[in-house]
Amino acid sequence: MKSLLKNRLTWPLVALLALLALNQVFRADFLALRMQDGHLYGSLIDILRNGAPTVLIALGMTLVVATRGIDLSVGAIVAIAGAISCSYIASSSDPSSLATAGTAAAIAVVAGLALGVWNGFLVSVIGVQPIIATLVLMTAGRGVAQLVTGGQIVSVSNDHYKSIGAGYAFTLPISILITAAVFVLAAVLTRRTALGTLIEAVGINPVASRLAGIRARNIIWIVYVFSALCAAIAGLMISSNVTAADANNAGLYIEMDAILAVVIGGTSLAGGRYSLVGTVIGAFIIQTLTTTVYTLGIPPEVTLVFKALVVLSVCLLQAPAARNALRRFRPAPKLPAKEKVAI
Amino acid sequence: MSPLSTLTPPLKKSSAIGYGRLRGGARYAPTLATLGLFLAMFAVGAGMYPSFLSGQVLLNLFIDNTFLTVLAVGMTFVILTGGIDLSVGAVVALSMMVCASLLQAGWNPSMVIPLVILIGGGLGTLMGLVIQYFDIQPFIVTLAGMFLARGLCYVISLDSIPVTDPFFTSMAQARIPLAGDLFISPGVLIAVAVVAVAFFILHHTRFGRTVYALGGNEHSAMLMGLNVKGTKVAVYAVSGLCSAVAGLLFSFYSLSGYSLAAQGMELDAIAAVVIGGTLLTGGTGYVLGSVVGVLVLGIVQTFIAYDGTLSSWWTKIVIGGLLLVFILLQRLFSRKTY
Amino acid sequence: MIKKSMFAVLAATGLALTACGGGGASAGAANGSGGDKITMGFAQVGAESGWRTANTKSVQESAKEAGVDLKFSDAQQKQENQIKAIRSFVQQKVDVIAFSPVVESGWDTVLKEAKDAKIPVILTDRAVDSKDTSLYKTFLGSDFVAEGKKAGEWLVEQSKSSEPVNIVEIQGTTGSAPANDRKQGFEDAIKDDPDLKIVASQSGDFTRSGGKQVMEAFLKNNPDIDVVFAHNDDEGLGAIEAIEAAGKVPGKDIKIITIDAVKDGMTALSNGKINFIVECNPLLGDQLMDLAKKVVAGQDVPQRVVTEETTFTMEQAKQVLSSRQY
Repeated sequence: MKSLLKNRLTWPLVALLALLALNQVFRADFLALRMQDGHLYGSLIDILRNGAPTVLIALGMTLVVATRGIDLSVGAIVAIAGAISCSYIASSSDPSSLATAGTAAAIAVVAGLALGVWNGFLVSVIGVQPIIATLVLMTAGRGVAQLVTGGQIVSVSNDHYKSIGAGYAFTLPISILITAAVFVLAAVLTRRTALGTLIEAVGINPVASRLAGIRARNIIWIVYVFSALCAAIAGLMISSNVTAADANNAGLYIEMDAILAVVIGGTSLAGGRYSLVGTVIGAFIIQTLTTTVYTLGIPPEVTLVFKALVVLSVCLLQAPAARNALRRFRPAPKLPAKEKVAI
Repeated sequence: MSPLSTLTPPLKKSSAIGYGRLRGGARYAPTLATLGLFLAMFAVGAGMYPSFLSGQVLLNLFIDNTFLTVLAVGMTFVILTGGIDLSVGAVVALSMMVCASLLQAGWNPSMVIPLVILIGGGLGTLMGLVIQYFDIQPFIVTLAGMFLARGLCYVISLDSIPVTDPFFTSMAQARIPLAGDLFISPGVLIAVAVVAVAFFILHHTRFGRTVYALGGNEHSAMLMGLNVKGTKVAVYAVSGLCSAVAGLLFSFYSLSGYSLAAQGMELDAIAAVVIGGTLLTGGTGYVLGSVVGVLVLGIVQTFIAYDGTLSSWWTKIVIGGLLLVFILLQRLFSRKTY
Repeated sequence: MIKKSMFAVLAATGLALTACGGGGASAGAANGSGGDKITMGFAQVGAESGWRTANTKSVQESAKEAGVDLKFSDAQQKQENQIKAIRSFVQQKVDVIAFSPVVESGWDTVLKEAKDAKIPVILTDRAVDSKDTSLYKTFLGSDFVAEGKKAGEWLVEQSKSSEPVNIVEIQGTTGSAPANDRKQGFEDAIKDDPDLKIVASQSGDFTRSGGKQVMEAFLKNNPDIDVVFAHNDDEGLGAIEAIEAAGKVPGKDIKIITIDAVKDGMTALSNGKINFIVECNPLLGDQLMDLAKKVVAGQDVPQRVVTEETTFTMEQAKQVLSSRQY
């Protein structure tokens, strides 16, 4: 029980469950699920489907934050990905085929990777501070997305494309399945190989890790590419959910949600130890918060105050846990039992 | 960092705190680079557009950015200690709303202005206390503060409220004539005063010294016996006060209270501080550099207004591009210092 | 080591400068008014929606046709940027200033500067609440309150029976003038009919994803929804997707009323998925240039020019769909 209380993940999980319980109190059938058109239907499914892009972006953000960086450009990359894919589909010769959808998605992902390489180049090679380097793309990137769509919303009607964000497979939303796959990939790549340890080392003490022979430049470059990749895929989800690309508004402020999710999940913005599971829980807390606002019928004027109070409560809950966790990097060694001295 | 630099008496400006680990003028390199680049941009603008080369254009940069200047000053304090304050934009909007709604209800400006400053300072102190005593990261606490302040704006009023009070109107429309045709607004004088006070605090008081020490290495500062806890709370209080003053200046500037105002201003303030040569990890930077950073952001906007042909998205791309050029050149000129 | 990073920095700088040069290459801006060409300084709100972009395009095309030299500035939705832009227009001595104020209050100072410089000002799309109406020559734009009212009046017309009608409202961006006014207009129109009740009202931020998310929550929280009132077409289109995903038929099981009349919305209307659209016309360009020429020539213009807007039902939409410009 004590180790459960000291676990960093416990309090965010408690907060998430408390929010879900609050919803249940206000609406008796909140947790109810039923089948609709061959897939599960219910508020929980909505949380999974609508939260998938945020979770995905937050995963990428976790690794960036772990290297003591930050990526503010994810919102712009979301917009660019959606803009490129929908513009391609709209201007292609066969706008509703699977091949068109596949090519569009592939182009968007490649664009995301290129932008990640750019961010990584600025931060790791030139040494610009991450917040400013990604601020440049955040500003210019949205302009690029608007340039691609001409400032208008580009609607498409391609069922294959739509399935990325709004489709279902095995009764669950495809978007959450994609996110789960990326999560497993990231977890395996970072925890089963040395990559995770290297990322943490670079974040905790860049100088020491350089002296230890770690190629910090490559590590930092990789995490920014990964973050951009996550943002591009999330961009595909967001635009395919409404089968339209809205370069003006897609992904607006999603970077704040992602960073908030990362911090709620227990990763420190000062870099170092990170927790992918914590981030996932944090992202779902944010999504559930939005759902709670709708369930409780909180008027739009008061929504932000409500969100502020919940965020603060979650952090305060975490605080003693955070303080304890900081003091104990590993449990105290077990002292040998006192030997009875025979008198 | 030279261990002797923080022990020298504060009157010696040459060994004053700041870039402690560097000698002589190299400390000022990033800030000087920023200043040089700003002048270069002004020259380029003058070459491209005939009406650019006027003193009023330069003074307009000050007039139109008084609130951002004060915000950047407050943000400098926070960033120097290695923290960050995301709530400043929302507190500006909250100050404006409180101001406008109280003035509309008939309160006297001499009561409204101190109250607004008190609210800003109070909110900042509260955030500082939570950050210090609960050990929660500044990003989250100030983000929650931002939600709270913005939410309170909506609660006060969804519609915008005009300010018709004669004192505010006179502050908004007064023109203080300088030589020839040039003029500035009273807001500029207030902003300059704030910058001067901040400069004095950072470089000639123990509090300022502690701020720099905190950013350099919090642990060392604590071991040296500096008042780490109090200072950490105080910088957020300072930032809150500056946000409130900036809100008042914005009220003078726009004579209205609008709940959606100042969205994203916190990022502008952070950008100005970083452009001015301050490191986000803390410990190095000058408040005058932040002022130059504000001017740089202002001149980018001026360029775009003078050009007159950029569509909305090309505007964003050009802003991002110019920012990038600036950062790269600054990095080029000061690469030896890192 | 130093050489490598220097090279990298210079390469990146060159890249960035080329990008800036490419964007600003169409600059060659002629300053001041020389000759017969009128110079107009236009301070646009931003590019926050397709409506706004269509508005910008209309102004730019009309300027070209009318031979007006247009200085365009995008304020990125910030009031201070619009004030700066207007101030620089005054500095550049343009012939006429036109702008869409992002917020209603706070313009007296800069408008006085324009007045002192003898540059006439035309307001487009949104009004200011200055007490001194001599600060601007005319206001050309829509009446958001009237738009909400038309939507409400159609609903009152349609529900003559005394059955209770559950309405859910998807609002626009909280605190923005169109959202505030349309909400107010709609509520005014339906307040006398006791059967019409708004059971839930949340903000969809004027976007499709916002509308979809809000509608999904409404469908789960309120079992019996009869009507959806969305503050713009995009929110309505998002609501349609949510309704279809819930297994209901939009337009029949749940009636939808929206405002804007963009092409996608009109398409949905002609397909019967939306029931009624109130137009909010962004194509103000020609009227603006007309007024500008009159104002510069010193002629009298009416203080308020209302944009020509109408409403559409399904049949009307089918007729005009092909001729919709945006």
